[in-house]
Amino acid sequence: MNAKEKAFRVLTVHRTSIILALILIVAAFLSPAFLSASNMLNVIRQVSITAIIGAGMTFVILTGGIDLSVGSVVGLAGAFSAGVLQTTDSVPLAVGIGLLTGLICGFINGFFIAKCGIPAFIATLAMMTLLRGCILVYTNGTPISVQSDIYKAVGKGSLAGIPVPIIILLFVYLAAYILLTHTAYGRTVYAIGGNREAARLSGISVVKNEWIVYIIIALLSSLAGIILTARLGTAAATAGEGYEMDAIASVIIGGTSLAGGQGFILPTVIGALILGVLDNILTLMNVNPFATNIVKGVVILIAVLADKKFKDLSAKVNQ
Amino acid sequence: MKRSKKLLALVLSAAMIAATAAGCSTGAATSTAESKAAESAAPAQSSNKQLVIGLSMNTQTNPFFVSVKEGAQKGAEELGAKLVVTDAQNDASTQMKDVENLITQKPDLIIIDPADSDAIVSAIQEANDAKIPVITIDRAAKGGEVVSHMGFNAIKAGGLEGQFIADTLKGKGNVVEIQGIMGTNVAQDRSKGFNDVIAKYPDIKKVATQSADFDRAKAMKVMENILQANKDIQAVYAANDEMALGCLEAIEAAGRTKDIVLVGNDCLDDTMKAIKEDKMKATINEPPYFLGKNAVQTAVKYLKGEKVEKSVILESTLVTKENVDSVKTRD
Amino acid sequence: MPEDDIILKLDSIVKIFPGVKALDGVHLEIKKGEIHALCGENGAGKSTLMKIISGAHPYTSGNMYFEGEKVSFHSTKEARDKGISMIYQEFNLIPYLSVAENIFLEALPKKKNGLFDWKTLNQKAKELLDRLKLNVDPQLPVNKLSVAQAQMVEIAKCLSRNAKVIIMDEPTAALTDEEIDILFSIIRSLSQEGISIIYISHRLDEIFKLADRVTVFRDGKNVATKSIGDIGYQELVSMMVGKDISDLYPHREYSGQETVLEAKNITGRGVKDVSFELKKGEILGIAGLMGSGNIELSKILYGAIPMEKGEIKIGNAPADCGTPRKALRAGIGFVSDDRKNEGLILIRSVKENISLSSLKKICSHSFVNHKAEEKMVTKNIRSLNIKVSSYNQLGQNLSGGNQQKVVFAKILETVPSICIMDEPTRGVDVGAKSEIYQIMNRMTEEGKSIILVSSDLPELIGMSDRILIMREGKIVMSLNRNESNQELILAYAAGGVGE
Repeated sequence: MNAKEKAFRVLTVHRTSIILALILIVAAFLSPAFLSASNMLNVIRQVSITAIIGAGMTFVILTGGIDLSVGSVVGLAGAFSAGVLQTTDSVPLAVGIGLLTGLICGFINGFFIAKCGIPAFIATLAMMTLLRGCILVYTNGTPISVQSDIYKAVGKGSLAGIPVPIIILLFVYLAAYILLTHTAYGRTVYAIGGNREAARLSGISVVKNEWIVYIIIALLSSLAGIILTARLGTAAATAGEGYEMDAIASVIIGGTSLAGGQGFILPTVIGALILGVLDNILTLMNVNPFATNIVKGVVILIAVLADKKFKDLSAKVNQ
Repeated sequence: MKRSKKLLALVLSAAMIAATAAGCSTGAATSTAESKAAESAAPAQSSNKQLVIGLSMNTQTNPFFVSVKEGAQKGAEELGAKLVVTDAQNDASTQMKDVENLITQKPDLIIIDPADSDAIVSAIQEANDAKIPVITIDRAAKGGEVVSHMGFNAIKAGGLEGQFIADTLKGKGNVVEIQGIMGTNVAQDRSKGFNDVIAKYPDIKKVATQSADFDRAKAMKVMENILQANKDIQAVYAANDEMALGCLEAIEAAGRTKDIVLVGNDCLDDTMKAIKEDKMKATINEPPYFLGKNAVQTAVKYLKGEKVEKSVILESTLVTKENVDSVKTRD
Repeated sequence: MPEDDIILKLDSIVKIFPGVKALDGVHLEIKKGEIHALCGENGAGKSTLMKIISGAHPYTSGNMYFEGEKVSFHSTKEARDKGISMIYQEFNLIPYLSVAENIFLEALPKKKNGLFDWKTLNQKAKELLDRLKLNVDPQLPVNKLSVAQAQMVEIAKCLSRNAKVIIMDEPTAALTDEEIDILFSIIRSLSQEGISIIYISHRLDEIFKLADRVTVFRDGKNVATKSIGDIGYQELVSMMVGKDISDLYPHREYSGQETVLEAKNITGRGVKDVSFELKKGEILGIAGLMGSGNIELSKILYGAIPMEKGEIKIGNAPADCGTPRKALRAGIGFVSDDRKNEGLILIRSVKENISLSSLKKICSHSFVNHKAEEKMVTKNIRSLNIKVSSYNQLGQNLSGGNQQKVVFAKILETVPSICIMDEPTRGVDVGAKSEIYQIMNRMTEEGKSIILVSSDLPELIGMSDRILIMREGKIVMSLNRNESNQELILAYAAGGVGE
């Protein structure tokens, strides 16, 4: 491998990070408050919720699937968790119920998608509506407020100066990274997304492994739901609406192929950060709120375009 | 193999039905609040027939509108009317369908809380054609025949808040405005009222104006970012209490509760608690519960042949620590 | 040879892709009206050269002359306007448009008032089709045509543009023998009209049947150009591979007695009540025409298609081969006939493909031991002579032969006692073919048994110890090595004898 190829390889592997770095540099010039340590922690804490869902979404998209129900799982897990906390005042029970909610939702999604072969888009779209309905029935449209300080610490507390959501985020990505690159399970995820039939004929049990993917994402979504509820101190009926799009966008900006089989876990958190930094810098600069959406859309398009250019270049090198 | 497929089909359709049903109770279809003592409570009704009133709500995921519905249900119960409620889920086209569905049920009157002032006009005209009287609440329609409109004056509410902030800061300081969904009249009017007053004070500087879509989670995020950019903030005006409470989370986390005058709008229970604890300074009492109740009372009055006001503006009052204990938001 | 006889001349053409020299000084002369075959192994540079001639790629350096004039095309349209057209393996037809519309798509005739002139269009199309002796209605939509007919439409398209040179890339890949004969007669009549044909094919027998001259490519260079009468089959193969391949099918000693697999009354999709035995160290060939159930039988044995009835015994004990996973565990390996869709994960690396079926071997407590994996993969790359730049290269960037070797490596790592191979050398060049036969040979020497399903009869006869012939889902005949020949197999497979 010559120096030119090496340079291209670096560009391909780290393309998302390079795009983030460029945005950070521009942002630092635009606003003096941007680069402060407190603002950096602030941005990471803000993106932690979508980034945690994004980790699960990476698994799902790698298998060639999609999960649109994550936002509703966030809301439902948060609502059940807050509801249980209100009646029992037991934090472990509240957290446990929240995670159990995710587990069950993921199990149902997996049943329809992996076992019955319903397209993931349709199955999770139906679940998204169904679960949102469940939230409304359960909360009656009124937010459930949380009083316990221990519970709130999951979202607001910090350990050694680092906010708890960031610690959870790091832990989730470490685990996801190990699972994806250092275990047999990770290999099967890539194989299923790369070529389902070839994977089956190679002796991979496609149904079981695909099922697990949907359980993973729902569990992570419920974890995100608990963090959101803890941060806000309340579980609203609308909580989590639209989160599926942020999570999917993070994964795609991270360079993972929507067709499945190709991509990495760590760029997803970079993708989430790109979205978060954009939100942050636009607010810091007090850009007209009507215009922020335009700026956001344009920057996402540029990021994805740059990503594609990198990919094309590296494909040429590898030809 | 075949049997398992059938089972699957069954489970699936059950799931679908469950999904629709779950959607229904809050969604497109109806829920009813019936009177227990219909006949005795409606003496003026010549035929002794129970009055049926349709209520088309724009949303049921926002506590404000949930309270409107609860007030209306209470009013109907007291007057022995039957109330048929629909929820448009914040979508103008869904509301169009809802109103059409109500018309086919031939109620005596329809109360509409429009999701959109323009889009609702054709639905109102359909009701007019069907000779069903219409009352609008909260947002006024831009056309069609209505018997009465009742609501709050959003410009006035924004103005009251602006004046409160100006007085508290003694006409000098940095303020932040958190706007609602700027596609809606109420967000635009509150913002207009607020800014009209603030503009009179040259020493008050608006350091940030951002939208958070009336949403608590979004407001928290936006406020966190604003706090990062601005070390010197004296007051924050949030266009509703949900957003104000989101801002409060961010301000508390930054430890700046003491320095910042935070005001909201809507008089939610959580807000009143925050005012009592001195974490927030003011809100506007526009009790949605009474809006709903009043609307039903007016409807019954009209159906009995009594005269009703064409336009009723319910009073918006500023709530601060002084009067918070005497505020009544529901029965 | 007079200069004006040469219509296309390439002089020292070099093509460099970033990091790769695909063509390294190619010289080529195409005469007016000749059928010029190009052959070479995959990756020898044939397709790149064709793309340059047809204007799909620019060349890096050198000179190209068309009708004595120096040319350099920037698009395929430019080349077509000059008179060079190419017919790709995948046709460029629009399925829902009519034959006539497809032929004249780039220059649809219009009436004076600007309206579409259907009458002229269909008339002109009919003339072209008659010239090609193709009897189809010009108004028929293209998706209603057979593959062979669609190919004729492609040729008609070239004629409509007055092509002087037509390049054909593997035109017979999807045709039946009868259709191939028709195609050849048309190609010959085109050449008599003075149109030059550049013909690319893996099938060497076709080249001997059809071409006037042949140019052999190897490693991005033209090795030799010969008149077809001056060269023999062996010589051509040796030139392509760059070394002598004396005997394609290696000689084997086989005296298997012990039964390793017994299939009883196997019934499933397209297979009716099939029973047979497989001996240790044996290569059992299964012949049959398309739709005879031979591929389906192999997939049922491997559990890829459900078995409706029947029993499989491995080493005298009943075996559960209900899914590929279970079949693998029972010691059966499987090479699919559809390498790209069922054999390989094209977008993953060689490494991941090789270790996919034996992840347990390289994992401790479900964690991948990367060192062990690299060792395993490197060992296979060396022992099967897989040509890769590194084991991280993606499957899709390998040639057909090397892809197939990766599939073999994956299966060999599961240490199967029985291996089912569907068309193991389809789309594989001669050199790799020979190597795959060596691998199969080695497997039987180790005591493994092979079920070989192939439509390549010389291969089937050359490799198998015994051949089962299938027709309509049933085994109609079993032939031993010394009694089988192509005619007999075809006769049984088509239903000519033994009714």
